[in-house]
Amino acid sequence: MHPLRVLYKKDGHMFANLNTVLRRESSFKVLFILAFALGLFFGLYAVFLSGFRFLNILGGAGFMVTRYLFSLIFLALGVMMVLSGIITSYSALFRSRDSILLLTSPIPDSTLVLYKFTESCLLSSWAFFFIILPYTLAYAVHEKLSPFFVGWTLLFSIPFLILYSGLGTIFVLLFIRWIPRHLREWMILLGLMVAGLIAYYVRPTARTGFDDSQFLLSRLIPGLQWASQPLGPNWWAAEGIMAFARGQIGRGFLLWGVLVSNTLLVIWIIRSLGKLLFARACQRLWGIVPPRRRQERLGAMLDHWLQPFGTISRGLALKDIRTFLRDPMQWSQSLIFFGLLGFYFASLRTFRYNALPDVWRNLIVFLNVFSVAAVLCSLSSRFVYPQLSLEGQAFWIIGLSPAGLRRVLLTKFFTALAAMATISVALIALSTTMLGVAPLLKGVTVSLSLAIALGTCGLSTGLGAVFLDLKQSNPMAIVSSFGGTLNLALSLIFMAVVILPCAIPFHFLNLGKIGPTTLYRTLGIVGPAIVVLTLLTTILPLWLGLRSLQRREY
Amino acid sequence: MIEIKNLSKSYGSVHAVIDLNLIVPRGELFCFLGPNGAGKTTTIKMLTGLVHPDAGSVRLCGFDLAREPLAARRLLGYIPDLPFLYERLTPPEFLEFVGDLYGVDRNRVNQACDEELTRFGLADHRRALVGDLSHGMRQRLIYVATFLHDPQILCIDEPLVGLDPYTIRMIKDLLKAKARSGVTVFLTTHILAVAEEIADRVGILSRGRLVALGPIDELKKRHDIKGDLESVFLMLTADDYGLPVSPGKENAAPCIP
Repeated sequence: MHPLRVLYKKDGHMFANLNTVLRRESSFKVLFILAFALGLFFGLYAVFLSGFRFLNILGGAGFMVTRYLFSLIFLALGVMMVLSGIITSYSALFRSRDSILLLTSPIPDSTLVLYKFTESCLLSSWAFFFIILPYTLAYAVHEKLSPFFVGWTLLFSIPFLILYSGLGTIFVLLFIRWIPRHLREWMILLGLMVAGLIAYYVRPTARTGFDDSQFLLSRLIPGLQWASQPLGPNWWAAEGIMAFARGQIGRGFLLWGVLVSNTLLVIWIIRSLGKLLFARACQRLWGIVPPRRRQERLGAMLDHWLQPFGTISRGLALKDIRTFLRDPMQWSQSLIFFGLLGFYFASLRTFRYNALPDVWRNLIVFLNVFSVAAVLCSLSSRFVYPQLSLEGQAFWIIGLSPAGLRRVLLTKFFTALAAMATISVALIALSTTMLGVAPLLKGVTVSLSLAIALGTCGLSTGLGAVFLDLKQSNPMAIVSSFGGTLNLALSLIFMAVVILPCAIPFHFLNLGKIGPTTLYRTLGIVGPAIVVLTLLTTILPLWLGLRSLQRREY
Repeated sequence: MIEIKNLSKSYGSVHAVIDLNLIVPRGELFCFLGPNGAGKTTTIKMLTGLVHPDAGSVRLCGFDLAREPLAARRLLGYIPDLPFLYERLTPPEFLEFVGDLYGVDRNRVNQACDEELTRFGLADHRRALVGDLSHGMRQRLIYVATFLHDPQILCIDEPLVGLDPYTIRMIKDLLKAKARSGVTVFLTTHILAVAEEIADRVGILSRGRLVALGPIDELKKRHDIKGDLESVFLMLTADDYGLPVSPGKENAAPCIP
């Protein structure tokens, strides 16, 4: 039997045994996770549908945007898949727990790399399908297209996903094989180049006297033109789907053929690189000796900064910070998410969003708050929630130490909060400054970002303690457990409940539906309510978590 | 047979293994000893192809590991100190998977499922998921899986960690039997009594260098020590621990404060 078939067969067994695992879980947990997934799916569907309707109302510019939007979303998802492919490929190829078993078996490197690439594609694909399917459904309903439209989308989505995810894998294989010897110097150079680019893009631009539609067209068309380049796989996918929807079967199959042949080329490149580079890349990565001097210097600096918090809290916080900094999965994901947001916020003036009418700027400000909050929810669910469980067998060290579980829990909370709050407040301050909004709106959104950082960190740390699982060493299993899903769901609900009551009055004010006095009155009621809700969302899970830790038998 | 020639490996400025030369003939049970960080695991990883040497070569049953890795791996069975098992497979499914990887006939796999799982006390857990097995049971399952393709060379890093006395006895007997049947067994251990009991020859590694090699009795004679293997070991590796050798008795065990 071909080794690839053997590996897939093993995965088939594991999938079949999922039934046994699920049967052990309470049906409430399973139903909750299913309901959450369905809620997310249909929630996105509703958001996309209202987006299309909104564009319809806009008229000329809206129609134009809708026409190209399909290509644009494929481009955006393509970029997402490359980034996701980089992270999941690195983890599947070089950090997976079954590496030793497979590397010492008689499987050729090329087969192993192809298998791990499949694993990486599957890991990346759920987010892709969770976006593309509700989007397509909403588009088909809005445009009154045949239900087959979703089928055509799937037909194109699979090779599309493999192609872009494969680009991420190729990057990882090449990068790991030739990790620059002077990585630090290269990173500094790269950082300087990025900083230069940002400085170029964010240079101040004067507000123009464009009206809305002119402005939108001049700003959006370049992006859309880029998305509809005929040489881009996103264009092949978008055009191909539309061709099938229009009944142009020949053109549809031609574009599908182009996409599939390019995908096959990417797979062939991965297979060849696997054969040529994988073994050397492993040796290169596993043979890296961390630069001790830099680590010692960083440790000494952190040690100095954390002195005011006392020896015990300092020790606990230092351990968590060092663990974070030494785990590329953690810091690279945080850097990518926050870095992209930072870059986008810094570029707001380049897109002349600061020249938009107040109603648009207000919308963009709150959308930015939503983006930062969503990243906070995602990262706290991914990294803060499993922190305590990942102490695993080492839990006895902190559990039996004179630190006390209360201090352990609070130190984890405050360490996470310090990082999350600093970044989110800085990002929102940057976004509002770039958009040039009024001080009141700036104050409200910055406060909102602080409240969301508090709430998500409290929820993640507290629920992480309530649903502590010291036997599980796989962070993804902890994150996707019932507790992890509940934490993500509650964080997202908290995010919406906190942002919307502030966003709506400001929107109505800009539409002229309410006056400033009504706004102040509303904020006077909403503000204290948000403070109380935030404190409850922060303190209650922490209290429940502490109680659970103290009552638990280890 | 394992043939190691001029094998060296460094991590930055740390020399993990320095110019190691060693031949372990067919049917020998060889114990590789050394303090923590002496280079044992690096050596075993180089023998299994997980780590590439900076210099030197490894031949397994005549196959050069660098040139014919797949042919060499087919003859090799490796059990690391912390072995990995797919937690969502049942023991028979795991054995079937390993059997398929090594191209083992399905009848042989089925036979192993019946006989070996019973022999290793896992017959009652055939339907359980690996994730539900205790540490000792998982270790036993790893042994069944490793023996499944009848490897000609066995490399085992710390073979008895986490096993109960019954299983320890069983594994020791099994390894001796494997060696008698012609399998080359290369294992590392910190339990010197085990090495003393089962090894045909031992090698002692200190700071990456092979400082002693031979049958245990011969080593004792060579170093004029009447005690056990522990005394030989402590004397030869005293430098690793920064311990002084007893004054006037350079060939005796070091003073342990």
